[in-house]
Amino acid sequence: MKPAPFEYHAPDTIDEVCALLAEYGDEAKVLAGGQSLVPMLALRLTRFEHLVDVNRVGELAGVARENGTLVVRAGTRQRVMERDASIEAAVPLLARATPLIGHFQIRNRGTVGGSLAHADPASEYPAVAVALGAEMELAGRNGARRRVGADDFFVGTWTTAAEPDELLVAARFPVWPAPSGFAIEEVARRHGDFALAGVACAVTSGRAGIALFGVGSMPVRALAAEQALVAGASATDVAHAAVAELEPPTDVHASASTRLRIARHLVERAVTRAQEDLSAAG
Amino acid sequence: MSLSTAGRFVGQSVKRREDPRLLTGHGRYVDDIVIPGMLHCTFVRSDAARGRIVRVDVDAARALDGVIAVLTADDLNPHAGTMQPTMLLTTPGAPLRPLAATDVRFVGEPIVLVVAESRYLAEDAAELVEIEIESEPAVIDVERALDADVPIVHPELGTNLGAEMAFPIAPELEALLQGENVVKRTFRQQRHTPVPMETRGVVVEYEPAAGELHAWMSTQNPHEAKHAMARVTGVPAHLVRVEGHDVGGGFGQKFFTPREELVVALAARRLGRTLKWIEDRRENLIASNHARADVAHCTFAHDADGRLTGSYIDHIEDAGSFPIGATGGAGALVGLLFTGPYKCPVASLRTRAVWTNTCGRGAYRGPWMFETVAREQMVDAAARAIGIDPLEWRRRNVVPTAELPYTLPTGLPLDMVSPSETLEQAVEIIGYDAFRVEQRRAFAEEGRLLGVGLGLYVEPSTGMMDPMGTETAVVRVNPTGQVTVALGTGSHGQGIETTMAQVVAEELGIDYDDVTIVQGDSSVTAYGRGTGGSGTAVIAGNSCRNACAIVRTKAIEIAAHLMEAAPDDLEIVDAQIAVRGTPTRSVAWAEVARIAHLETARLPDGMEVGLEATATFKAPAFSWSNACHACTVEVDRATGVVTILRYVVSEDCGVMINPMIVEGQVAGGVVQGIGGTLYEHFIYDDDGNPLTTTFMDYLLPTTTEVPTIEYGHVETPAPTPGGHKGMGEGGAIGSPPAIFNAVADALALVGATIDHTPLSPDVIFAALG
Amino acid sequence: MLPVEMTVNGGRRRGVVEPRRTLADYLREDCALTGTHLGCEHGVCGACTVFLDGEAVRSCLLFAVQADGSEVTTIEGLGGADGALSPVQDAFREEHGLQCGFCTPGFVVSVTALLAENSAPSETEVREALSGNLCRCTGYQGIVRAVQRAAEESR
Repeated sequence: MKPAPFEYHAPDTIDEVCALLAEYGDEAKVLAGGQSLVPMLALRLTRFEHLVDVNRVGELAGVARENGTLVVRAGTRQRVMERDASIEAAVPLLARATPLIGHFQIRNRGTVGGSLAHADPASEYPAVAVALGAEMELAGRNGARRRVGADDFFVGTWTTAAEPDELLVAARFPVWPAPSGFAIEEVARRHGDFALAGVACAVTSGRAGIALFGVGSMPVRALAAEQALVAGASATDVAHAAVAELEPPTDVHASASTRLRIARHLVERAVTRAQEDLSAAG
Repeated sequence: MSLSTAGRFVGQSVKRREDPRLLTGHGRYVDDIVIPGMLHCTFVRSDAARGRIVRVDVDAARALDGVIAVLTADDLNPHAGTMQPTMLLTTPGAPLRPLAATDVRFVGEPIVLVVAESRYLAEDAAELVEIEIESEPAVIDVERALDADVPIVHPELGTNLGAEMAFPIAPELEALLQGENVVKRTFRQQRHTPVPMETRGVVVEYEPAAGELHAWMSTQNPHEAKHAMARVTGVPAHLVRVEGHDVGGGFGQKFFTPREELVVALAARRLGRTLKWIEDRRENLIASNHARADVAHCTFAHDADGRLTGSYIDHIEDAGSFPIGATGGAGALVGLLFTGPYKCPVASLRTRAVWTNTCGRGAYRGPWMFETVAREQMVDAAARAIGIDPLEWRRRNVVPTAELPYTLPTGLPLDMVSPSETLEQAVEIIGYDAFRVEQRRAFAEEGRLLGVGLGLYVEPSTGMMDPMGTETAVVRVNPTGQVTVALGTGSHGQGIETTMAQVVAEELGIDYDDVTIVQGDSSVTAYGRGTGGSGTAVIAGNSCRNACAIVRTKAIEIAAHLMEAAPDDLEIVDAQIAVRGTPTRSVAWAEVARIAHLETARLPDGMEVGLEATATFKAPAFSWSNACHACTVEVDRATGVVTILRYVVSEDCGVMINPMIVEGQVAGGVVQGIGGTLYEHFIYDDDGNPLTTTFMDYLLPTTTEVPTIEYGHVETPAPTPGGHKGMGEGGAIGSPPAIFNAVADALALVGATIDHTPLSPDVIFAALG
Repeated sequence: MLPVEMTVNGGRRRGVVEPRRTLADYLREDCALTGTHLGCEHGVCGACTVFLDGEAVRSCLLFAVQADGSEVTTIEGLGGADGALSPVQDAFREEHGLQCGFCTPGFVVSVTALLAENSAPSETEVREALSGNLCRCTGYQGIVRAVQRAAEESR
């Protein structure tokens, strides 16, 4: 089980990365933490002529607070999210979602941006980004920058709104106003597996964010459920609203109906816990 | 725990001899073997379950730089001898072949062997091999495989029925099965697979000038591998050497010599080059032997007191396409052992092994364990049906120790076991009655579904089939007094270098650190049965004992001669051969050893020089061991998730050589049972395409899915010397029904039932409705 | 082919590798450090876990070129040069935390990393931290005990 040959590039700057992506187009792939990409390469389920390793791009690492926003640069390791107390303080969902991702050895290497850009519909960070209303910052050729809201960034299984020559350079998570309450809940076959179903939930005065994962081709924002929650509906009713339109996949781990049933329960639980969290914060 | 029979070493939890090298990264597994000039292999396999091979084009692969050979069936098959993997089990089976030539019979069947300068290059070349297969409808559903309109997996054989054993149904049984208090159920166990953490692998060197073939292999059975390679390559057996150093688990998968290893040996012989093939994990999941995959239709008849009066089992095992070992061998035991530790006056059975276009079945830790799965699940279903607690059903029906020996209704003689004692010990440890109270409270007050389950079994370890029940030990005392013992075993985690050294040190009265065990190498050990079938403690242990007895006698004779004492007055204590009761009159063991080799003039007249012995042991047909597993679970109604709360094993393996290792073996088996009951499922779609081909989809239990296991021990010594019984497999036999029964017990609170595994959220939700 | 230079178990190693060569294969074949095992080569089993710049990572999911300039510690680098066992290795032996030994190097590295960060982990923390390493022999019983023992003995 060995990867096919590729040409390796290890640029030092974002501009160099974007130039390489522009040069090689579909033949190039960004290598970040590699925890999803390298298994696919080893199994020869995918292949690229060029791998652009972004691990040596210094400007991609680190976390910064910009007023009401926590800017997580894309190359920041996932482990930082669970180790750095300031993250839990600013964006609790990020810190709470992180231990659910794989295992600590995976998180030591895996990056926040890699997980977002990989856009696995069952992974946690994309749902957190959608629930909180995060923005993705993309870099293009010649220093171009643009921001895309999480709602628009995820467009399908393993597919984002980023152009082939664009690099996700940061995720900008809004710091919700105090008091706010947060919860993330999931059920996986085993600890650390991709979720059969999961939900990230945020709630504050007059506003709620609910996004499900593992139940569609991308993270699913539950707008009707958010409105119901803001309007004071019960957790049970919010849960019903959240799953009403879902069409979860069936695979070897669970049927669509199992995922739906678990999802409904998890939304109810997450809403309840987020409200408890809100009460405790207030 | 009381260990009445503990000795200086036997019965002690001696730390393992193997551990320092394994813990520091200095183990030597097959992939660690590097031979100058060694080449690397990979297989190109069928992606169709059944079909005709229309075209195999290897030109592009052969043209790739670094590729040495690309071999097809045309290149290899005409040169192959028989592919029979074992001399141990000779029942006719599937028509084995090296590489598929004209048709394929399961997804993963090897068609082409690529040989290159590196594994990377071999895989590059494999991608360039073009294979065209005209797919045909495949036989995937074992329960439909005997229907008239279904294709035949092996056209040469003309039937999909690989083996069948059926006993007549006596009129009195027929009457019982049609009478009152009859319970009928069907249980299904899903296909899963052994999954040793080290995949299979082999390095084969052929030296044309000497005509010698030397293989390093991940095997439980170096002597069988040697003979299998001799048969397929035509190299005479005495010129074939197979070494297994450290082996990273096997669980049955490495007991017989599989197809790929034989193909690589054949290719090495043909090419005259040293070849390495290390199976990758995807190959291991797709094409290394599968296991379990059983269906049983069961019937129990009871009298008015809930006592079992008659039993019938109709069992089908999915043999796959090319089972390794015996076809239907496990099924025979499923039928014969179905009534297990319970009294039953009359029983009958039918068992069938059926071919399908899937990966072949093979040994996996307790290959016949479906007798216990089906029976114990049946017991709980029967108890619920007749309105008594499953524990009470067992108490009424278990064979009391006072009534042993007891002949099973199928004729097998059961003796020297303690199912009743282990049952009571397990329910005591788990607090069965108190749990029932808590279960009712949790349901009534909180709506929670808790359950308790039991799994009680007897295991007929060792001895039944010649030569599975024999082993030869060579005990060789060096001139320094230290002892080297050669065994034909293939240790793969059992700690044989430790346990057998304990036995030898105990028997010779010398220090454990002065004994070393050499094993796993066919050239320096006598023919042996390998390591499997829970056989080592009884069979290898007693071959060691027998050889030690000869050595001890001779050493004492030498000492008696030196001291002018009577041999009968001497004993060996702490490496001193001394006059009993007068320890000051002694000669050191090492001195005797030195004289035996180096001062032969001081030996008694006519005594042969040296101090060593070869001895064998033939195990009796049965060395029954037994155990009771008990566990408690919670079923989450909202998520369908099963959580194991507590897990208890009460076991009786007779005299333990090393309690630490016994408990380790039990734990490993239990957790494989947890995997098999809750998580592991090798899935094919309707066309025979495998869907669970990586560790992302084939789910092994991890630390977070496994509870702390609690142990109880009952010691009923076996009648064989040492009093040991086989126990390596038992953990995997008792655990699946214990877990299943606990979940079924929880679901019964809301009237839900289950009849198949794995108990995934899908299955739990289907039951809950 | 690209040049790589890294510190492995305290010593400098220079090599020339194909970009696709995994760090695991580089350690096993180019450095002859065969204690790092390959149980799945797709990042699930954890047998290939090594320290890269102080963090436990899967060496099958890294290319050797990515470790250029880094410091790598493998199972061979954890004990004493004289064959002495590290406290974690010793606890595994005491508690029967291994049988066939194939998964063991990965477990020992993971446990060493865990205890470096949390010297008194709860049983739940131990189990969660080790859930990324598969063992098929021990049922994890002796492994969990070994972690607790090593933690106790380090206090």
